[in-house]
Amino acid sequence: DGSGETKKRKSRWADDEPKPIIQLPDFMKDFAQGIDTDPEIQLLNARLLEISKILQAGVQLDDRPEGARSPSPEPVYDNLGIRINTREFRARERLNKERQEIIAQIIKRNPAFKPPADYRPPKLHK
Amino acid sequence: QQQIALQRLMLQPTSGAASKVLCLTQVVSEDELRDDEDYEDILEDMRTECEKFGELVNVVIPRPNPNGEPSPGVGKVFLDYVDAEGASKARAGLNGRKFGGNQVVAVFYPENKFHQQEYDG
Repeated sequence: DGSGETKKRKSRWADDEPKPIIQLPDFMKDFAQGIDTDPEIQLLNARLLEISKILQAGVQLDDRPEGARSPSPEPVYDNLGIRINTREFRARERLNKERQEIIAQIIKRNPAFKPPADYRPPKLHK
Repeated sequence: QQQIALQRLMLQPTSGAASKVLCLTQVVSEDELRDDEDYEDILEDMRTECEKFGELVNVVIPRPNPNGEPSPGVGKVFLDYVDAEGASKARAGLNGRKFGGNQVVAVFYPENKFHQQEYDG
């Protein structure tokens, strides 16, 4: 349906096609509707979008010059020889962690929420 | 089914995030907005469709700067309704629908920001 640009005077709005992903039984609708309009979920979603953007664009780091920051620790490498205690790495980890937590919260409030493909539910530690 | 859900929604106490201003994100592309004719068409399509939910005060569609500088809010459409009822009806009715092939996301937008013409957000 990507050929919409040819017909000029036809509205760009697609026909109103009410196509619920899952048809909920009546008594469930209040519940589902509430979830969708829950301001807290809106907020979580907004933050999630923000984090995804930052992760995609590259993490903004503290831009003080080397000398003004605390001295760097000795490098630590993982078993592939990649240094893992860089500032980039930590900042990224932090955002990823927040992202996972937000997704977990959204799922808790709305079990029908479809998490992104790369989301892994948090491991339950003993 | 939307109608029923909608009426129930309106009976609920209005949530804190509700606003008379609705923002449709990921709706239009920068290229479309550069073209005057396309822009007018989009504006008209928006007015016609969005009036169905309530009386509109204003429709704002930020356009890209001709000099190529980044311009806030490009790609979004702001709908200023006379009352919050229109905005929330529109939100329920427009969210998830397709406009020019893009799936519309409708969110309330802070009124004060809108009136100060701050469209980034």
